[in-house]
Amino acid sequence: MAELRNVIIFTIGAVRYALELRWVREVVSLGFVTSVPTAPSALGGVCNLHGTIVPVLDVGVLLDAVPGAPARQGDGALVLEAAGMVCALRVDQVDHVASLHEAAGEVIDATGRPLRLLDPGRLVQRALELVTAEAERLG
Amino acid sequence: MSGTELDFDAEELAMLRQLFRTEAHDALETVTTRVLAGGSTKPSAEALTEMMRVTHTLKGAAGTVGLPAMVDVSHRLESALATVGREAWLPATADRLVEVVDAIRGYLDHVEEPDADARVHAIRAQIDQIVRPNRRPESQPPAFVEALPEPVLEAVADAGLPPEPKAWLRVEPARIDDLMSSAGELLFDRTRIERRVQLLRTLARDLARTRQSLHDTLAESAEAAGVDQSAEPATLAEEAEPDDRPADAESRARPVLRTTRVGAERPGLRAALADADAALAGQAALLSQTTAGLLDELEALRRTIGELQRGLTRIRMESARSLMTHAARTLRGLRRATGVTVELRTAGEETEFDKAVAEHLADPITQLLRNAVAHGVEAPEVRAAQGKPPVATITMRARQDGNSLVLEVGDDGRGIDTAALRKRLVATGQWNGPRAQLASEEDVLEALLDTGVSSRGEADELAGRGVGLGLVQQTVAKLGGEVKVSSIAGKGTTFTLRLPLSTTLALALLFKVDGQVYAIPNVHVVHTPQAGIQVAAQATTAIVGHDVLPVLRLEQLLGHGAANERRPAIVLSFAGKSLVCTVDKIIGAREIIIKPLGPLVAPLTLYAGATISGSGKVQLILDPAQLVRRAYPGAPAVVLGALDDRSSSPTLLAGRVLVVDDSRAIREAMTSMLGSEGWIVDVAEDGGRALQMARQVRYDLVITDLEMPALSGFELIARLHSDERCKATPIVIITSRASPEHRRRARDLGVRALVAKPITRRKLLEALAAR
Repeated sequence: MAELRNVIIFTIGAVRYALELRWVREVVSLGFVTSVPTAPSALGGVCNLHGTIVPVLDVGVLLDAVPGAPARQGDGALVLEAAGMVCALRVDQVDHVASLHEAAGEVIDATGRPLRLLDPGRLVQRALELVTAEAERLG
Repeated sequence: MSGTELDFDAEELAMLRQLFRTEAHDALETVTTRVLAGGSTKPSAEALTEMMRVTHTLKGAAGTVGLPAMVDVSHRLESALATVGREAWLPATADRLVEVVDAIRGYLDHVEEPDADARVHAIRAQIDQIVRPNRRPESQPPAFVEALPEPVLEAVADAGLPPEPKAWLRVEPARIDDLMSSAGELLFDRTRIERRVQLLRTLARDLARTRQSLHDTLAESAEAAGVDQSAEPATLAEEAEPDDRPADAESRARPVLRTTRVGAERPGLRAALADADAALAGQAALLSQTTAGLLDELEALRRTIGELQRGLTRIRMESARSLMTHAARTLRGLRRATGVTVELRTAGEETEFDKAVAEHLADPITQLLRNAVAHGVEAPEVRAAQGKPPVATITMRARQDGNSLVLEVGDDGRGIDTAALRKRLVATGQWNGPRAQLASEEDVLEALLDTGVSSRGEADELAGRGVGLGLVQQTVAKLGGEVKVSSIAGKGTTFTLRLPLSTTLALALLFKVDGQVYAIPNVHVVHTPQAGIQVAAQATTAIVGHDVLPVLRLEQLLGHGAANERRPAIVLSFAGKSLVCTVDKIIGAREIIIKPLGPLVAPLTLYAGATISGSGKVQLILDPAQLVRRAYPGAPAVVLGALDDRSSSPTLLAGRVLVVDDSRAIREAMTSMLGSEGWIVDVAEDGGRALQMARQVRYDLVITDLEMPALSGFELIARLHSDERCKATPIVIITSRASPEHRRRARDLGVRALVAKPITRRKLLEALAAR
């Protein structure tokens, strides 16, 4: 990857992430988040988005990294559609849209700071695996 | 007012009144149709009887929902119909009756408003007008009718007569609603079956892998023993599961089978294993084919259910014209109240709406029109100064847009002053200064809907302080839709309501656990004793009626509720198994719209879907099948051991009662009253249906109205008494015909009690205590 244009850069906790803009449908402020008992922690709840029910995911848990803060009404979120599924990723801050470069095996932005480029397809698949595993565990 | 307001909480009363209003409109429509069908001639005796019957039903229901003025008006109308039916029918009678009916409708739409009393007064006078000429035959000679010149009669007939009726089928809306709710239930059933079939598919795949693994192990051991092994069964397995990945199969099944490598030195065992292997291959292939076939058939089922629902929805479709008419009527009322004249322009009257949606839209439209008249439209001189026509125009447009119905209500008034709105949002503390500065115009307009803030400072009788717009938003959200506002300063404001084309409304019981609201399809709720079962802290079973039922603690399944307090409970029944679910608080039965949870949440089988509340919150719908499964993990467990003495004395079920009344409002009201007393309530809308039900189910009590279509109350009682299965069932009559003669006849028939309408909780309880 020499250069990747049109990525959205955002922060969850202390970690900076990037995501190609083409996956992002909307950047929203979450409505009331209904928690889903018995769901794994990766699924922070469900939200009403224009009359459709959208799951809110915790990127930290999905990447086996530090879990993010619980999703609450008013939190920022990126709504994305990947692998035929629509979901919202809770974020602490959306920074800007930028271009990414690769240097010495790391993905960096224009300021040279490293960040983590997300693969939304894998992210959503991982969420589905976790939910399915939890459902099977509960029987 | 009557004792009704003590009998129901405000929300329940509002729901009952809404039901009553719908029912009253239908009844009044019947009167209008019958009157107009005769032109200026007297309707048939049969038609008159029907008109009187529906009016009478209206009277009974009006009392129960606490509308005494309506009781009086229906009573007068019924008497007037009796009088004109007995005596001469003047050419003007038909017109006057139609006018009265329209006036009553107008009153029903404005029951809560200050001018309601004046309306009632006017209606009484109008009814007297109908009766008076008949009472004074000397001033209006009977020959009057004949004396009229023929052409006038002709003209009246031409103008007033509706086109020749087609062969319409009249169906009570409740019957369609029942069908809709069954169709909605089919969706849940289908989802459950789909999940099972998916599981079956996974099993088929695993079986094929295990078989492959066995086959490989056999081949290896044969090699070790120097025996030639046919490779044929392997190809069979590949056909069975073409997407099977060998690497995966190895990792999943091989470790277990390694230990079975024992046949190398024993040819007999090897041959037997090879046979089993071949048989297994065939069975795995068959299972896989069957599962694939099942999936195809499920797909067909999904399509059929979809068609069924669409078909049912089409039955309930009505054109937007009724909403436009409603708007015109509302504007006429507003003109009388405020003196503001506006012109209504409509477009798209032919657009079809689900009747259920249209009914819910009437109130939001009223609110939007009030808003336009109170806030949007400028005074004529102001308009003239701006070069606008002095009379303002409100435009109402309906259209279909893809899968949505769009309804626009716009005015050509002053537009919304967003600068003032920003200030008010800050002044009322809803927004802070920076937010108000940064927010876009759209955000500010959206806040108008969300927060119920008004751009005008002073309170206003007509449209309140914008609180009404909040209600518009909530109603539309409940229907699964959205509201948008657009406004141009000096040019006007338009509200756009976007609604789903079809809605699957289902009745659900709502309850709260750990601060969240959940729903459960009402068809599976047997019993929600409001003051009834309180399950004690440690109880794992509870006695309901004669049964010991398992207790499922939803506060622990869905939350972190402490188990050390007594809690309200719901009794559920699914597929013949019952259970008691403890919750934090029971909210009550509501009509909800079922929404899918989407593929990411769907694997959590505990949930059958979700619904969106009026305030836009997602509420999860629990699947009763899963709750039953959790309460009966193995065989039906009826454990008596863990009974706590205090918990084992819940309120016993009072019994099963059949309520027969042709008014839905009364049926609902009785269901609520009896339900809270611990009765399981079934309802029937006429005597015929009641008879049918009473022959199938043993009832502990039958409560029936007297005046009903098809089979009257007295006929029903006679038929019940002549039937071996139901002759012992006690009967209570509820009626507005409580004359001594009726009471005597009831006593002769061995009826337990006769309760005069309007029904109050106290009267009902006294009657029940009489047994």
